[in-house]
Amino acid sequence: MSFIVDVFADAIRFLGEVGPELRDIVGLTLLVSGSATVIGAVIGVPLGVALGLERFTGRGVLLALVNTGMGIPPVLAGLALLLLLWDDGPLGGLDLVFTPVAMVAAQTVLAIPIAAGVTAAAVRNLSPAASEQIAALRLSYTGRWMLTGREVWPGIVGAVAAAFGRVIAEVGAVIIIGGNIQGETQVLTTAIVQESRQGRFGAAVGLGIVLLIIAIGVNAGLTWLQLRDVRHG
Amino acid sequence: MDDQKPTLGGPAYLSSFTEERRVVVFGPNGAGKTSLLRQMAGLSNVSRLLEAAYLPQDPYMFRGSVARNLHLGLSDHLYPLSDEIAGELGLGVPADQDARTLSGGEAQRLALARTLASDAPYVLLDEPLAPIDVKDRQHVAAVIAGRIGHRGAVIVTHEETTLATLADEMVVMIGGEIRQRGPVDSVFLTPHDDDVAAAVGIGNVIDGSVVEHDGSLVAVDAGPVQIWAVGDVEPDGRARVMFGAETVTVFKGELGESSARNHWEGTVRSVLPAGRLVEVVVDVGVDVAALLTPGSADALGLDTGSPVHIAVKATAARAVSRS
Repeated sequence: MSFIVDVFADAIRFLGEVGPELRDIVGLTLLVSGSATVIGAVIGVPLGVALGLERFTGRGVLLALVNTGMGIPPVLAGLALLLLLWDDGPLGGLDLVFTPVAMVAAQTVLAIPIAAGVTAAAVRNLSPAASEQIAALRLSYTGRWMLTGREVWPGIVGAVAAAFGRVIAEVGAVIIIGGNIQGETQVLTTAIVQESRQGRFGAAVGLGIVLLIIAIGVNAGLTWLQLRDVRHG
Repeated sequence: MDDQKPTLGGPAYLSSFTEERRVVVFGPNGAGKTSLLRQMAGLSNVSRLLEAAYLPQDPYMFRGSVARNLHLGLSDHLYPLSDEIAGELGLGVPADQDARTLSGGEAQRLALARTLASDAPYVLLDEPLAPIDVKDRQHVAAVIAGRIGHRGAVIVTHEETTLATLADEMVVMIGGEIRQRGPVDSVFLTPHDDDVAAAVGIGNVIDGSVVEHDGSLVAVDAGPVQIWAVGDVEPDGRARVMFGAETVTVFKGELGESSARNHWEGTVRSVLPAGRLVEVVVDVGVDVAALLTPGSADALGLDTGSPVHIAVKATAARAVSRS
């Protein structure tokens, strides 16, 4: 038991000596996962509204893609992107392998299906009376999507939270496409992998606590928004 | 007859509604009335036929204020009109109130005002009066008719008292088919067949056989009574005669000279309230129902067992062939 206690004591000590190194890791984590969530939401939320609201050809294929994407292993997303961006790959000329930009791209691929899928579910949960009224209002596509989006916004908040939770917690994609280069492409999850592999459990647990605080903090904020809506109708 | 019964969904069927007048669609539950409106509004798998403002059956209030909901989908210049119509309909709530706190009747008034304020050339209303209090229905129906104006309109309703206010023309739908179409009065007074008669709640249906012809009139022998009615039934054929309870006149004492071809003597079997009217059933050998105002029922002093005469104009009764 004393081993665990020692590890946590080390973790507290590690967090007490917060240096620029930890600040860089946390900063890059928030930047990469935050950017991926924002881009993923900008693409995924309208896609989800359209999938939930409209009937169009190709909708079935898109829904299947979104559902598959929601469960795709991050390692595979990272690997696919790595092949695309590799020197001899089709996008090798961009010279993006092992850069934060490539990490954002990989996490965006993971964020889009989550944002779209959860949003589409929220739209489908609208009452039949609401869907009927939305269709009856003779709005343009954008007007209809804006109205629907505003109507289901707590669901969209949930979609964004789920997307952020997925990307900030994943390690497979960023470690492959980013390379886990200390000071350049290392984020919280990949740093935890490295520290634990080298037996520095105190540091690993310390980083884990930071990761947990970020995840809980973001979700607590979004949950508070949703609850406030319930209270105010 | 077949060309009067187009099935649901054909373009010819839908386009038969697109003239510029107000039509009410009447019929039992499940007759396909809402499906008809949704098709016309372009909400089914049929391409949109009409540029129409559509009021669905259940009003839904979106997040936000009364004003936001009232103005949804309208161009800016129509905002004052929608406010004005909302006022006429009696929606007396602050513009900044949360729309989700409105009662069913208030929400319906809001949705009606928004729909009627639209500048679409056609108006489609699904049960516009259902959530409105009975005492306000006549007023709301009058506002609806006035605000539709000269546009084409199709109004699904099962609310009989406001039919004549809402529309010029009436369509009876049963089982997805149009069974009868014509001016509201004539459909009520002379239904084509007994399904329509049941749907519009006509009072009297009497079976017999044709014994005499006189121009467009036939005399139907129903055992104890003989009834003159409008109809084209072959001689000796079996016929069903239908006439509305409101077309029956009730007399106390001797019947003087009258233009009515049908007059019979009998006794009152029952006197019962029927909405704002009184239904009197008279036994003349067969039972005949008459609808009277409470005033005239009182003036005649009608009671069970009272001896009375009743009269029905032959032109108010319709005879159809029964095979």
